Amino acid sequence: MSELVVPVVERTPPTPPQAADASVLRLALIGNPNTGKTTLFNALTGLRQRVGNFAGVTVERVEGFFRTASGTRVSCLDLPGSYSLSASSPDEQIALEVLLGRARDGWRPDVVVVVADAVHLERNLYLLSQVLEVGVPVVLALNQMDAAEASGISIDIPELIHELGIPVVPMIAKRGQGIDALGRACETAVTLPAPVRKFALANAVDDALAPIASQLEVAGFKPSAARLEALRLMSVQHAEPHLEHISGLEDVRKQAVTTLAQIGLAPQRLESDARYGWIGEVMARTTSTREQDGRTISDRIDSVALHRVIGPVLFIALMAIVFQSVFTWAAPLQDAIEGGIAALGGIVGGWIPEGELRSLVVDGVFAGVGSVLVFLPQICILFLVIGVLEDSGYMARAAFLMDRVMRRVGLHGRSFIPMLSGYACAVPGIMATRVIENRQDRLATIMVVPLMSCSARLPVYTLLIGSFIPVSTLPLGFGLQGLTLLGMYLLGTLTALGVAAIFKRTLLKGPVRPMILELPSYRWPSLPTLGVTVWQRAMLFVRRAGTVIMSLSIVLWAMATYPRTAPDPLLPEVAQQEQQLEQSVLGRVGKVIEPLVRPLGYDWKIGVSIAASFAAREVFVSTMGTIYGVGGGDDNAAALGERLKAEVDPITGRPVYSTLVALGLMVFYVYALMCVSTTAITVREAGGGRVGWSWAAVQFGYSLVLAYGAAWLVFNVGRALGFGG
Amino acid sequence: MSASLPVLQTVPQTDVGLLGAAQPCTLSQCRPGSRATVIGLDDCGTDEACRLRALGLCEGTSVSVIDARHAMVLDVRGTRLALSSAITAGITVQPLPAVRSARG
Repeated sequence: MSELVVPVVERTPPTPPQAADASVLRLALIGNPNTGKTTLFNALTGLRQRVGNFAGVTVERVEGFFRTASGTRVSCLDLPGSYSLSASSPDEQIALEVLLGRARDGWRPDVVVVVADAVHLERNLYLLSQVLEVGVPVVLALNQMDAAEASGISIDIPELIHELGIPVVPMIAKRGQGIDALGRACETAVTLPAPVRKFALANAVDDALAPIASQLEVAGFKPSAARLEALRLMSVQHAEPHLEHISGLEDVRKQAVTTLAQIGLAPQRLESDARYGWIGEVMARTTSTREQDGRTISDRIDSVALHRVIGPVLFIALMAIVFQSVFTWAAPLQDAIEGGIAALGGIVGGWIPEGELRSLVVDGVFAGVGSVLVFLPQICILFLVIGVLEDSGYMARAAFLMDRVMRRVGLHGRSFIPMLSGYACAVPGIMATRVIENRQDRLATIMVVPLMSCSARLPVYTLLIGSFIPVSTLPLGFGLQGLTLLGMYLLGTLTALGVAAIFKRTLLKGPVRPMILELPSYRWPSLPTLGVTVWQRAMLFVRRAGTVIMSLSIVLWAMATYPRTAPDPLLPEVAQQEQQLEQSVLGRVGKVIEPLVRPLGYDWKIGVSIAASFAAREVFVSTMGTIYGVGGGDDNAAALGERLKAEVDPITGRPVYSTLVALGLMVFYVYALMCVSTTAITVREAGGGRVGWSWAAVQFGYSLVLAYGAAWLVFNVGRALGFGG
Repeated sequence: MSASLPVLQTVPQTDVGLLGAAQPCTLSQCRPGSRATVIGLDDCGTDEACRLRALGLCEGTSVSVIDARHAMVLDVRGTRLALSSAITAGITVQPLPAVRSARG
């Protein structure tokens, strides 16, 4: 990034904005949740965004780029939604560090844009009043002016500018109104001195806080930022990570708390009293509300959406739509992508002479690309639906309704949607966990999402159920086959809840924080914003998970292909494939692990299929097809089922597959995390790098232990009870 | 630690009219449709009190109870907050006489 030319430090002579043409203006965007901050960010930057993580934490870092109307290049950092600069969550901690110019990556804002919701200006001014003191020029983007007008709220903008002493830009971000004006305001703001605290504390309080402020100034804080931090430290239990290195700070902090208590003041309410006192005056001078009926439109919607009876019914109906959309609507698109890639592979393969290279291109590269792209429909649809739920305001209501249920296992109401999505596919489900603010809850949810039976397990279930569970009808019209399938889904779901509870009590131990949740006003979601979000998620998946999936697919192809053998040319083609697979690295692995899978009642062929399906579960069926010489593909599933039933153990002469083995195998697949894509996305979403890999390892390890243990139990307990084997 | 420090600022005296002088109680004891002024957040725990203050619910704030079940939905400075009973049981309030408008 080019060096900054525009000086913005206090008391430095300002440079006119024209001189900044060749440089980049660094803009930090901050605001309360539900203020339309992301909509504004997308309206400013469009698709010119870069998504990553802040160094060392799981907090997502989104940076975008744009040019103002006058040509200034701007790099815009979208800070996590925060109600205050209180550093009580990793998100708020990051926001505070960036604004104080102490971000670990060295990114320092030249100007801060505070996005406020004009309807709830009073509450939004709290964050603004804190940001005014960080020592950087500030612009207030007063968003959702249309909603404020509709609610009978009128705001005197010139008076507000006068009160706050900073540029104020009224906007309707979702319609693009005010975007240019915001750019101009930022260019103006950097030429102005940084704002200062707008209210005065009692002299006694100032005196009590002075030692903290001077300690912080010595540590390099700007004077106004030091005073901000000193006041803020009165309402927290101890100094946060970004202040921990300042020696002696804790002592002066405790001293100040004691001093304040001695003069009869409650330190923890000092900041809110002072700021809301000032805000009350500003509100009285700048806004007027037309007297209205107390019930807003949102309240009326809530009387249905949160109704004791209708609310849960509506919730279940909406969740059914979510589930249906990800599960079924994506299927034709996925088939089209798979078919398209395979056809393309065939065409390209046709240009390459028969041999190693063609096999690599068709079975390795194209199959790898296909296995990445095949997830896109589900990811796009899920994020579209989640976006609608989130932006409309319903997500908070869903979290409210589910809170009591999810809290029993130590999770959060917001864990529900990722877990539900897991039934379709764990990858978008894990990506969806970012709606959960609390890191512990987010990780616990990520850990258990793969236990929800995803659509890739369905081919395994249908093959085994179709072949080994008798078609018999039970009372009330239930079929035994259908019940078995339902049982597999229930087994996964209940285990997921149990495992989450265990994680929350062990590795991810943390207080179950009681619900404090804002129910934002209902709003129409903005299509362009949804579009950008979906695009962003899709690209993120292709770039991050895609590369891992792709390379592992090629590795797996190589393992199933080498070393080459010369199969007997007289045998039919499928038998040649079987021979080749048996001799390949993968086949040998199967033989090696045979003693391991023996206690579960499996032979080496199942071992190979399991080994092959470490990349993706659905490979199990096609590998079995290859091994048993019926070829892969759906058409052969019935033939494969017949073949499996006929298979006998060469030593004992008994059938390899009893109903018990099949059941055990299904249970194995309920638990085992056989999916490279899931592991790849867990690495990313759990924080990337070493942290991400270790969580992915924990996830993979516990799943495998669970799978093996449960399959062993089913097989051996079943046999002990006399159910064949 | 500092949770039990005396509070200097007094709650504004309200005219309780025909209802008689209502005694301070916890927010969880308030009924849907009622209004109250927050007196103290001391029994919520420091972290939670800090979050509540950032959300505009602090000493002296008037709140209206919109819905009460396992959790409460409140009108706080025109915003809607959902708080679980663990939180509302830790908030001390002075009940106010009922007023139709939810907005202060």
